[in-house]
Amino acid sequence: MNTIYALSPVLIVVAGSLLVMLCEAFFKRENRSYLAYISLLFLIANGAVCIQFWNKDYSYFDGNLSLSNLSLFFVIILTVATFLVILISMKYLALQNANYGEYYALLLFALSGMIIMVSTSDLIVIFLGLEVLSISSYALAGMRREDEKSNEAAVKYFLLGSFASAFLVFGIAMLYGATQATAIPSIIEGLRSGASMGPVGLVGLGLVVVGFGFKVAVVPFHMWTPDVYQGAPTPITAFFSVGPKVVGFAVLLRLFVPYFQDVLDSQVMHGLLWIIAAITMIAGNLIALRQTNVKRILAYSSIAHAGYLMVAILAQDIRSLVFYLTAYLFMNIGAFAAIIALGKKDHEYLELEDYKGIGFRYPWIGATFAVFLISLAGFPPTGGFLAKFYVFSAAVREGLVSLVIIGVLASLVSVFYYLRIIIFMYMKEPSYEIDIHMENPALFLALFLCLYGILQLGIFPGNIMVLINQAVSYLPFL
Amino acid sequence: MFIFISRDKENLLRYLALIISIATFIVSLFLYFNFNALTPEPQFVEKGAWIGYGINYHIGIDGISLYLVLLTTFLMPIVILSSWTYIQKRVKEYLIFMFMLQTGIIGVFVALNLFLFYVFWEAMLIPMYFLIGIWGGKRKIYATVKFVLFTMLGSLLMLVAIFYMYNLFYKATGTYSLNIFDYYRMILNPSVQVWLFLAFGLAFAIKVPMFPFHTWLPDAHVEAPTAGSVVLAAVLLKMGTYGFLRFAMPMFPDALQKFLPVLGVLCLIGIIYGGLMALIQKDVKSLVAYSSVSHMGLIMLAIFALNLEGLEGGIYQMLNHGLSTGALFLCVGILYERSHTRLIKDFGGVSKQMPVFSAFFLICMLSSVGLPGLNGFVGEILCLFGIFKANKLLAILGVTTVILAAAYLLWMFQRVMQGPITNDKVRSFKDLNLREIVYLAPIVVMMFWMGIYPQTFLRKMDISVSNLLNQVNRKEAIFTKANKDYENPPPYILMEKEESKDSLPIEDTEPKEDTESQ
Repeated sequence: MNTIYALSPVLIVVAGSLLVMLCEAFFKRENRSYLAYISLLFLIANGAVCIQFWNKDYSYFDGNLSLSNLSLFFVIILTVATFLVILISMKYLALQNANYGEYYALLLFALSGMIIMVSTSDLIVIFLGLEVLSISSYALAGMRREDEKSNEAAVKYFLLGSFASAFLVFGIAMLYGATQATAIPSIIEGLRSGASMGPVGLVGLGLVVVGFGFKVAVVPFHMWTPDVYQGAPTPITAFFSVGPKVVGFAVLLRLFVPYFQDVLDSQVMHGLLWIIAAITMIAGNLIALRQTNVKRILAYSSIAHAGYLMVAILAQDIRSLVFYLTAYLFMNIGAFAAIIALGKKDHEYLELEDYKGIGFRYPWIGATFAVFLISLAGFPPTGGFLAKFYVFSAAVREGLVSLVIIGVLASLVSVFYYLRIIIFMYMKEPSYEIDIHMENPALFLALFLCLYGILQLGIFPGNIMVLINQAVSYLPFL
Repeated sequence: MFIFISRDKENLLRYLALIISIATFIVSLFLYFNFNALTPEPQFVEKGAWIGYGINYHIGIDGISLYLVLLTTFLMPIVILSSWTYIQKRVKEYLIFMFMLQTGIIGVFVALNLFLFYVFWEAMLIPMYFLIGIWGGKRKIYATVKFVLFTMLGSLLMLVAIFYMYNLFYKATGTYSLNIFDYYRMILNPSVQVWLFLAFGLAFAIKVPMFPFHTWLPDAHVEAPTAGSVVLAAVLLKMGTYGFLRFAMPMFPDALQKFLPVLGVLCLIGIIYGGLMALIQKDVKSLVAYSSVSHMGLIMLAIFALNLEGLEGGIYQMLNHGLSTGALFLCVGILYERSHTRLIKDFGGVSKQMPVFSAFFLICMLSSVGLPGLNGFVGEILCLFGIFKANKLLAILGVTTVILAAAYLLWMFQRVMQGPITNDKVRSFKDLNLREIVYLAPIVVMMFWMGIYPQTFLRKMDISVSNLLNQVNRKEAIFTKANKDYENPPPYILMEKEESKDSLPIEDTEPKEDTESQ
């Protein structure tokens, strides 16, 4: 149905961020936690609206912005992710001297960009959303202004990110040249009809892959990831590791699932993505073995997870991809939340050495962190296991057996470094005492929500699968 | 559940754990008494929709898994008693992990859905990882990581094979299923079977462990706390053999035939190599660990004989090995608690100081050697009968396991328990206290019982085993018949329905699963 209601998720979030900016300008600077509450309120409203829109299939701008169930599902998980990120940020910002009001506004702007990206199928609009997301992200990465690493992260992200955007625009232009269209369904149609299927269309697609490969951090476009993840404030790292990945794969899914099904000459792209998936899984996991900084370990782990998600794209299985992204959201934000929990004023504990004996000194934080790591490693009964299970079983169904074998062997490697953190937490005696700031109810709420999510997905995945099936059942572009 | 009891009340925790584990055992005894020995079908079946797409909660036991479940629940109170004083730090976590481990193990033995089986198979790794890693010895981290990586390697490849079969089944029938009986019916192309068998076989062979994959075992055993070693040797290794029996062999009979010679030789190498390695060990615990490699080789060889004697002997010997090796580890643990060393040369003349202990140790050791009248004899003789029927040469070489076992165990006993007291520390040893007698006595009673009247156990096994054998040889697939009325369950299942609710041990252990989620 063509109605202006379709704009409401974007509008709510933008309104929220504008309000946050206004409040920031007009009220006292000392206590900023009310800004966080405002943002949370708007996010809850957004979530409620999205739930109301379920099965309604609203669209606007001649279908350029459409809230199909799949889009709504993505909007909801992005909203949840942002919600969790704000929860884990509240105390952190005060402790780490990064308590600026625009933080929340930028987060909400980034969210609005992401919502635009997942609710359209026109590449130009997608690019629009991407730029809103990216520019907010560059600023967020440098939020710890006195910290050199944080500044380095921002500059690095900005330079490489604008490069990737340029590739993306160039790719879109070439696709337009090849098919005279910017909307994905028309592009697929044009490529399928074959008349325009020269090298131009293929190169255009390749460039789009480069652009989004950068956002979701697949090898060889991953170089920025470890440094930016390490330098950015930890809640922002959590945000980067989830948000751009979700939207990146949402777009790749819209583009490639119909492409692989409809276009006969798609072997070249298929082969290319196959190679990307394989080397991403291998390289991400192998390099993570050598890291001693927990944030860097998780950075490489998120690269490896991008590889598994790429397998789902190759298997053309939307269900498993969406499930994986949902599970990944909870376990990754949860892991970063646990890292934040182990911090104090002006200092975070990020080296593996700091984690010695944590498991018994802080049993609750240690145990939840261990559950998230176990889930990332893909052990049952957690959501991480089922996510891998769905992806790999879909891939086997599509005959990608060798890729799956690479995948499981790579995840065997990953077990080693995830367990290494647990070894430090539980099996080594602390060589020095660390003290952490414990009064942080919002953070513990976030930890609890993530833990609940991960176990819910692992033990009773049926509930979420019903929603995912509803989301997938209606695909306007297929 | 434990998580809410404060850390200081360690004794309360211990008693509670003991009571729960005994209760579990008693409940599992109902399984034995209500078990219908006349049918090969799984009994006490519980089935519930879980995730869909063929992934169901589907459990039940037959004549093979019955005893393994009983063995697990029988050993659990003993293990908890044995670690009463040995584990002094972090008692709460220790007990939580113990129960998680038990849940996982029982789950593996009762699961009738491949997915459920895999979940339990993997979930059981986590508590074991922590048990070795936190309460282990000096090289605990090396040992525990090696243990996890070895097992994961096998099981991940098995997972790929499961996907592949899942997919094949879907293509063939158009419905999703992970029910193992559906897979039994599936006749696969032999060349496909080879790969699937290799994937499954690798996972199980690592667990057993068969010869080239055994290297994790001595490390894990030596570094694990006593209770961990007992569970590892007595039950965890059986998961590998059980896997062969339940999955690899009946699902891929053609591939099995193809690989039989290789497997036989590997088992034989394992037997002899394990025995020889045990001979030269300086550490009592690693000696027992290598003896496990040797004994498990014999069990596998008997199972691969593919006849009734061999299979029953193999299964019986699995139970015996669980009891006797478990008991040996307990004895070593008792020695270690007193001396804080496990080197053979530090002991000598212990029996003078500890006459009661010496008697227990002797019985356990002889049971492991296979003295007539004790359980080991019955199992080994059945195994060797079976092997002899299948291949005389293998049987003759297989006998070495008994000879070697006698050599290394008796020699060890002689050096540790007899002779003059060379180490002054030994003089201060106290004999067994009541608690230690209480937990060793049931094992010894069972050893005699299983040695003198094995019919108690074999009787309920017969039908299941012969059915398995039929499946493997594909002469007459009883399961195929059973599967036709799979949709409407046969009457006897309905009859047992009321009991099945509370007689499944898995039900009892479930509250403890929640502790992890707290």
